[in-house]
Amino acid sequence: MDRQKIKTFLTLGLVLLSCLVLFWGEQYLGKFSTRVLNLAAIFVILGASMNLVLGFTGMFSLGHAGFMCVGAYVSAILTMSPESKEMIYFMEPIISPLDKIHWPVFPAILTAGLVAAFFGFLIGFPALRLRDDYLAIATLGFGEIIRIIVTNTISITNGSLGLKNIPPIKSLWVYWGFAIATIWILKQLINSSWGYAFKAIRDNEIAAEAMGIDIFKHKLMSFTIGAFFAGLAGALMGHLITSVDPTMFRFLFTFQILLIIVLGGLGSLTGSVIAGVLVTVMMEVLRFVEQPMNLFGLQIPGIPGMRMVIFALLLLVVILFYRQGLMGTREFNWDWVLDKVGVGRRKEKGVGVDG
Amino acid sequence: MFKKKYFTLIALLLVAAMALAGCGGGGAEKKEAAKDSASDVIKIGVFEPLTGTNAAGGEMTVEGIKLANQLFPEVNGKKVELVIVDNKSEKQEAANAVERLVSKDKVNVIIGSYGSSLSMAGGPIAKEAGIPVIGCSPTNPAVTLGNDYYFRVCFIDPFQGTVMANYAVEKLGAKTAAIIQDVQQDYSVGLSNYFEKAFKKLTNNENAIVAKVNYNTGDKDFSSQLTTVKAKNPDVIFAPGNFLECGILVEKARELGITVPILGGDTWEAEEFLSRVKNTKDIYFSTHFDADHPVTEMSTKFMEEYKKAYPGKQVNAFGALGFDAYILALDAIKRAGSADPQAIRDALAATKDFQGATGIITLDANGDATKTAIIKKVVDGKFAYEGKVEPK
Repeated sequence: MDRQKIKTFLTLGLVLLSCLVLFWGEQYLGKFSTRVLNLAAIFVILGASMNLVLGFTGMFSLGHAGFMCVGAYVSAILTMSPESKEMIYFMEPIISPLDKIHWPVFPAILTAGLVAAFFGFLIGFPALRLRDDYLAIATLGFGEIIRIIVTNTISITNGSLGLKNIPPIKSLWVYWGFAIATIWILKQLINSSWGYAFKAIRDNEIAAEAMGIDIFKHKLMSFTIGAFFAGLAGALMGHLITSVDPTMFRFLFTFQILLIIVLGGLGSLTGSVIAGVLVTVMMEVLRFVEQPMNLFGLQIPGIPGMRMVIFALLLLVVILFYRQGLMGTREFNWDWVLDKVGVGRRKEKGVGVDG
Repeated sequence: MFKKKYFTLIALLLVAAMALAGCGGGGAEKKEAAKDSASDVIKIGVFEPLTGTNAAGGEMTVEGIKLANQLFPEVNGKKVELVIVDNKSEKQEAANAVERLVSKDKVNVIIGSYGSSLSMAGGPIAKEAGIPVIGCSPTNPAVTLGNDYYFRVCFIDPFQGTVMANYAVEKLGAKTAAIIQDVQQDYSVGLSNYFEKAFKKLTNNENAIVAKVNYNTGDKDFSSQLTTVKAKNPDVIFAPGNFLECGILVEKARELGITVPILGGDTWEAEEFLSRVKNTKDIYFSTHFDADHPVTEMSTKFMEEYKKAYPGKQVNAFGALGFDAYILALDAIKRAGSADPQAIRDALAATKDFQGATGIITLDANGDATKTAIIKKVVDGKFAYEGKVEPK
């Protein structure tokens, strides 16, 4: 059979398989596992979107938590019922048009992404004229500015008291649906001519400019799309936890996403998916090291924080032995699988698989 | 390829972030879990921040809970097992932790958490599972609002703010006040809000608050805020917030020649605060209990046992609140006569005149505690008992 056809079948099969897995998960997994997996999906979206900015376009931006914050608040305010708004905003009532708005969840999540993208555009416009470390500092600052604004506009966001009673979403389908859609969109983007331009900018900005790539336009586009998905993830996070407050989105949160993409590999969506799931699930699995243990008759008292120590060690090992993260810049693709199982390879034009 | 120097930079950043997140948790060890069969034990889940930014408060609370567990290890003839999980001072972790407690560990009742936002993340999950939660020190009114399964043993921001306004007007004879609040802390904003309302009402003057200025957590320079306040010449200053920032603030205020009384909340009862304001006077704040004026027999007992169990440590309100949360849970189980979560919830809701270490607790319809507040002041470099205020 034609290799291209096999690949199409395999892709369809994979989609079907993931549907089956989700269906099975929805039926038989406990609430706890579902919650952890949903959180993993959010981190996958975050990892993939930050990877677009940092790993594929080479912009060292640290404002991701700020865009999440925007997304989380937009979706929360749009979907909360007027009654709970009245109850929660007991210090200063919410301003006029917002108090009556009561949207369904899906349009609200998409709007959250769009508003975050708009903020990304606004911030990117001045900030993306900077490069390297300076960009990192500027975006870090902007992320914090967003958080401070949210803290201070009490009649819109309820300030530091935070919001609660956000309509919950529990289904695996929603979170993983968004995650899979994100990966698919980003993959299409990266394999488009824009994606090649992104990678050219990452590898050598001056050479890319000499080739006629509009650096600023492409950077701004990558940054805005990154902000869109960050906003989406923020909105989902709000619906998962059902309450938000500004302290959630401190810049330390951005480092957590950074951890995922460095672990997975800067410039690999596959890596972001693997690392996103790995980090979230491991964080819960590793809880046993904080429980008191009995090792060969040796009493070890439980020490809170041990999982973080183990994680730091893991990270050191990865950085030492896989300098480019688990996946480097490689992606999962069927050619590799088919080569392994020994299906004959027809002579094809070398389709640009990165790395 | 991606520039190499980034990897080094990122690696360093990440290790630093990890180290930050990991520190502050050491020392607290967990109770050896009893491996009895499920029916013979009653499980009490505890979710507290043992690592991350709130680790200090979480650890003090857990110390109190563990002490209570050592003193009262049994109820209804069954052994009580503590299941302590860390929530890393993060909301998503707090939600995971509560989900873990209710669906994996199958606890009968939950205690936690230090930090209102962490409690709000866990609340809805416990509510859905029908497991009652007793909060030790989340003071934000929103925590128990609309959640029939959340109770707490601490008093809430509205009460504390109102108490201080009463005190300022009735005892200090204040006619005007200025507020300096930490706009990032829900605690500070909440207290200020209710202080303002009560103060205006008591003085019958809409303009009684002559200045309301903000600062942010982590600020170290308060001269501009204090200059603004000084120019307005208020009778008292109300400045609730973290002990660290407030210590600097009060010290600076006295340096600038502001001599009017400065009032605060329960967070001020800390050595770090005292060391800064030692040489000043007219510093008042509300708190939960006083070592020399025990409110109940349980207070005396708690203080004796605490000193025995943790020699060299200052008896603190968070430990006492943790202690109270545990004994209240036990009391509710005893009154319910079973370990069924629904029965425990109903028993908790009916709590009246419960003798806790921090006072006599009655839970209202919201699940909030109404109890005695203690006013303390700084005298000769020490915290001294000033008086107590009964709930109205």
